Amino acid sequence: MKFIKKCPVVILLISIGVLLTIVGAAGRRTIYADQEYDPLKKPVLSIVFTAINDAIYPWELFIHENQEVMARGDVQETEELSEEGSDGENQPGEEGIPAITPSPSPKPTPSPEPTPVPEAPLERLEPLRESTHEEYLNHISADIYGDAGTKRAAEYEFATVDESYFDDALFIGDSRTVGLRDYTDLSEHADFYCETSLTIYKVMEENFDGQGTVEEALSNKDYGKIYLMVGINELGRGTTEDFMEKYTEVVDTIHALEPDARIFIQGIMRVSGKKSNSDAIFNNSNINARNNAIATLADNKQIFYIDVNEVVCDEEGNLHEDYTFDQIHLLGAYDEIWKQFLLEHGVVE
Amino acid sequence: MVSFSSLEFIFRFLPIFLIVYFATPVKYKDIALLAGSLIFYAFGEPVFIFVLIFTTLVNYLLGRQAWKLGEGFLVQDWQNKKRKRLVIGTIIFDVLVLAVFKGLATFADSALLPLGISFYIFKMISFQADVLRGEIWSMPKLRSTALYFTMFPQVTSGPIMRYNEGEFGWEKSSSLEKFEEGLKYFILGLGMKVLLADRLAILWNDLQMIGFQSISTPLAWFGAAGYSLRLYFDFWGYSLMASGLLVMLGYDFIENFHHPYAAKSIADFYRRWHMTLGSWFKDYIYIPMGGSRCSKGRLILNLALVWILTGIWHGNGYNFIIWGVVLGLFIILEKLFYGKKLQKIPVIGNLYVLLLIPLTWVIFAITDLWQLGIYFGRLFPFIGGAGIAVNSQDIIRYAENYGIYFAAGILLCIPAVFEYYEKHKKSLIVILLLVIIFWFSIYHLSISAGNPFMYLKF
Repeated sequence: MKFIKKCPVVILLISIGVLLTIVGAAGRRTIYADQEYDPLKKPVLSIVFTAINDAIYPWELFIHENQEVMARGDVQETEELSEEGSDGENQPGEEGIPAITPSPSPKPTPSPEPTPVPEAPLERLEPLRESTHEEYLNHISADIYGDAGTKRAAEYEFATVDESYFDDALFIGDSRTVGLRDYTDLSEHADFYCETSLTIYKVMEENFDGQGTVEEALSNKDYGKIYLMVGINELGRGTTEDFMEKYTEVVDTIHALEPDARIFIQGIMRVSGKKSNSDAIFNNSNINARNNAIATLADNKQIFYIDVNEVVCDEEGNLHEDYTFDQIHLLGAYDEIWKQFLLEHGVVE
Repeated sequence: MVSFSSLEFIFRFLPIFLIVYFATPVKYKDIALLAGSLIFYAFGEPVFIFVLIFTTLVNYLLGRQAWKLGEGFLVQDWQNKKRKRLVIGTIIFDVLVLAVFKGLATFADSALLPLGISFYIFKMISFQADVLRGEIWSMPKLRSTALYFTMFPQVTSGPIMRYNEGEFGWEKSSSLEKFEEGLKYFILGLGMKVLLADRLAILWNDLQMIGFQSISTPLAWFGAAGYSLRLYFDFWGYSLMASGLLVMLGYDFIENFHHPYAAKSIADFYRRWHMTLGSWFKDYIYIPMGGSRCSKGRLILNLALVWILTGIWHGNGYNFIIWGVVLGLFIILEKLFYGKKLQKIPVIGNLYVLLLIPLTWVIFAITDLWQLGIYFGRLFPFIGGAGIAVNSQDIIRYAENYGIYFAAGILLCIPAVFEYYEKHKKSLIVILLLVIIFWFSIYHLSISAGNPFMYLKF
């Protein structure tokens, strides 16, 4: 007892530490299988915390154990799956793997005949190949569509419009769109449903700062244009296929909810060369691959693809160094360029 | 790993080191700490550790020689002269080493600045000066001198302890109670760094992301206040961790901050901020040059020199020199004109400090002079104009996001709060609070992978 009185903090820290270590070690192969762990750099107990951050709580260990007793065979299977299929959303690769540019895949399907103003909506393109397991493991977004989609989408002749065009527009996006909202006067016309760290996986669930969900927004007001820019936060998560599947689902859902609205898929804004060359995940090769994918959704009738990178990038296709401080976001003063780009990419028919 | 607020340090280096240190017999504890310190430093600086070792040996050998010349009751004149020459020679060597590396870092590549060199060279200079003044009682041994220069709780960022404060070679009075006390300081420091300073750092990063030309004037002031708090908790937190570690090992606590934001003048502020650096400049530059017991002209010169040197010491940009000059200027003005009056009128002195110090921190923060000009333009829009694409409502969002950190930070700036802690640190509530602070900090460190900016999602 005397001992405890002398150093209660030491004893409490050590006992809690031991307890957390036991929890971490016990769940290492089950509930914590997806948590990245390097024994040289981190204690086992840190995975308990990273998991809490992913909304996996220690008590799930017991639930998991119960399930294990009930259905042993099934668990074996999920375990294998989860070990293989750890998505790296919250732990972007620390392996420092150099960004390998996906080899330009041969294009067996010739790009469609150039029709200046297609009467019928464009068909959705199929991927040319699959992501490889290696690309998946190294967080490389494979360029599985090539540039057929972006080229086809760019054939549409956009019109220059004035600001009142945005009176029935809705912008959905991550922190880049937050910048567009806060540092241009677009928000005087359009509605903004944007949130830092938004991903395509959360677009339909997110309750935007108390404004409500996208679905509620669409039911409350008739929007004529819906702009979407998401995709940078989830660059480290899943494959191009995973991303594309979800993106397609979101675009189709929005289209079904607001069939008359034109949907503008905005290409993910690139990062600066400095960032791109030094980051295994947040680099322009990954961004371009994903942009090539989502561009294929454009039918140039109801769904359009526009790419602001045309006006904010340098000759090498990287976000212009002068336009950014943190190599990712436009400085407030340069959001105006984006707004001008949007004004020049209206659809009026 | 060289950061105390990292999982590697707290869960890998520290436990292993502590087990070895406490398992070592008292006689050899110094050696255990010395070995641990060199390993610690080598993790952060595998190449430049040779600079540390080389300067340590030079300072030890020449310092011991000088010490011997001052030994005994009848020290001859020639001995004194030789001792002085020796010490001055060594100090010149130390200054040159520091100047060369600072120069390389400024003009060639900032990676060429060895970790902690500004701190350990200052310790070496202080050691030589103390030898000359006869303030080191027993002949310095290699192990205690090397330990003094390299000890891991201080080698990267101070506090700049004096050789005598370490009582090297004495039996350390380590005990469970002392260990517990040191650990409490460490946890407080960790919490300040991880839960406050690292959160507030994101605010400053946000302002840079937006671009200074586009922030509103209220946000510019909010940012300056946020930066002032962040710097304080970053450095005070670090100092508490460093001193806490030493207390755990059996040394005495070294105070490096004493409620600076409660000061009533700039001079008073710097008697309370980074105190070990301030007293170093006072004891080894200001007083040897005559201090304040001289003509007014000389006093101005002394203060100006001390503050220009302070500016240069802090970083490799012109902004640091401007920062030092501005501080020196106010301190000279206080000394000559209104310093005493400020101390007497309570609120005015506090307001004066709380207004001026954040402005000087802005100079400290922004190394690009052009950007610095833009920031001051936003702080004082009647000089700087309207800015570009300014969102006048921005302050609302930032006040919402960071209000909680400001509230906690301001609370901790009030001396009474810390005094309450000192009085009640054995109460159950404080103990539980510390345990929560520790594990909450570890939670933050775990999910941010050691880099607070990993929080920044786009």
